[in-house]
Amino acid sequence: MLFSLTTQELMERPDLWEAVHRLRYRVFVEEMGWTDLQRPDGLEIDQFDHDEAVHQIVIRNGELAGYQRMLPTTRAHLLTDVLADLYEGTPPSGPNVYELTRYAVAPGFRDGRRGVSTVGTELIAGFVEWGLKRNVNQVIIEFEPMWVLRALQLHFLATPLGYQRTYGNQQVVATLLTFNEHTLDVVRSRRNHFAPVLARGYPDMLGQRRAS
Amino acid sequence: MGHFDRTLELIDQLQHAGTAAAVCEKLLGVTSGFGLTALMAGTVPQPGTPRNRQKDHVLLCDWPAEWLERYVARNYVDHDPVVSHMKQLQAPFQWREASQGIRIGKSGGDVMGDAGEFKLRDGLAFPLITLDGQIVMVSLGGEAVELSGAEFGLVSLVSTYAIGRAMQLHTMAGKTIDHVELTPRERECLQWAAVGKSEWEISQILGISEHTSEKHLLNAKSKLGAVNRVQAVAEAIRRGYIN
Repeated sequence: MLFSLTTQELMERPDLWEAVHRLRYRVFVEEMGWTDLQRPDGLEIDQFDHDEAVHQIVIRNGELAGYQRMLPTTRAHLLTDVLADLYEGTPPSGPNVYELTRYAVAPGFRDGRRGVSTVGTELIAGFVEWGLKRNVNQVIIEFEPMWVLRALQLHFLATPLGYQRTYGNQQVVATLLTFNEHTLDVVRSRRNHFAPVLARGYPDMLGQRRAS
Repeated sequence: MGHFDRTLELIDQLQHAGTAAAVCEKLLGVTSGFGLTALMAGTVPQPGTPRNRQKDHVLLCDWPAEWLERYVARNYVDHDPVVSHMKQLQAPFQWREASQGIRIGKSGGDVMGDAGEFKLRDGLAFPLITLDGQIVMVSLGGEAVELSGAEFGLVSLVSTYAIGRAMQLHTMAGKTIDHVELTPRERECLQWAAVGKSEWEISQILGISEHTSEKHLLNAKSKLGAVNRVQAVAEAIRRGYIN
């Protein structure tokens, strides 16, 4: 199940709020080494956690298993404000374009050595479903070039927005992904899971397993 | 038109190419500027994959036809230093590094010498990783290869789009990719199932839990498209994965 929450909604659930920022710290500061984001409290928070950000959360067995953040491109976002060397010309923007940032799968949910985990593909199915419902059909993602192939395998139309750059020991390329119902069908059939993943409301308190 | 716009145009053309041959042609149109005139891309077969199944692993190929025939006929994939270097390194490299960096057995030297006969003296190779974690190896070769770091970035990015397009064409043609990638454990479990061992017995032999051996067998069954264990074993034998 994937829950899509505004920053305000996330803050109303302190347990979730903390788990989200702690997972982001663990993945982006500790694993990826983005030291600019270091903080003594072990929570990763930046200027884009504003009131128009959308936080998408995957819960498995009462635990935070995956996360991504969608930012509107109608105001300042990472590509324009922080990663400006990743695009050439004018980057795409508009109400139908969001920027997908902080895609993260919690360490305990990364099955397989190299493949994309089921939590990882649930995040993908989630943003496509979420987008199609609100006339969003494009996302900007700054990712490692190997994701380009995966995006094409899922029948996204991909367009690079600039050259790939090296940040620390990572290669990054900003890419625009365009999707439609067909993309959603392909994502679902690759997952072998055809039911919608987007859930309404809030997840249960973390640490509480739903009896099922 | 700026350099980046040219790249975009190429990538756009690649994404609209209707056949694997057209994808190859577009890609080589870019890379031949750097001396890379021949292309081979596909998933790397596991050692011991029967020869008649090796060509199923190919996604894009514009190698001299005779060279491909010889490569398969002599089972070069199991001895090719470029392939073994790729498996160890899992990062981009130039062919010459593969022949310098590691000690090449006699068979490896034969592969490289033979490639030279077909005007494939140097090249570059890099791995791409698919959704399900398979490694796709892209190898581009030619007589003399010169490119800067930035040009390498361009070649690898455009190649990624080419491989992606080739994979889309594959699925759109409704071709379920007819090669099956079994893990060593799945093969082992099947091998024991083939001699009549139960899940519990297999778990004892391999020192794994009964649940795990059951899982390996179920995975192998679904990969082989079999409805039950007997058919999975038969299919694995037919495909040459176990004997």
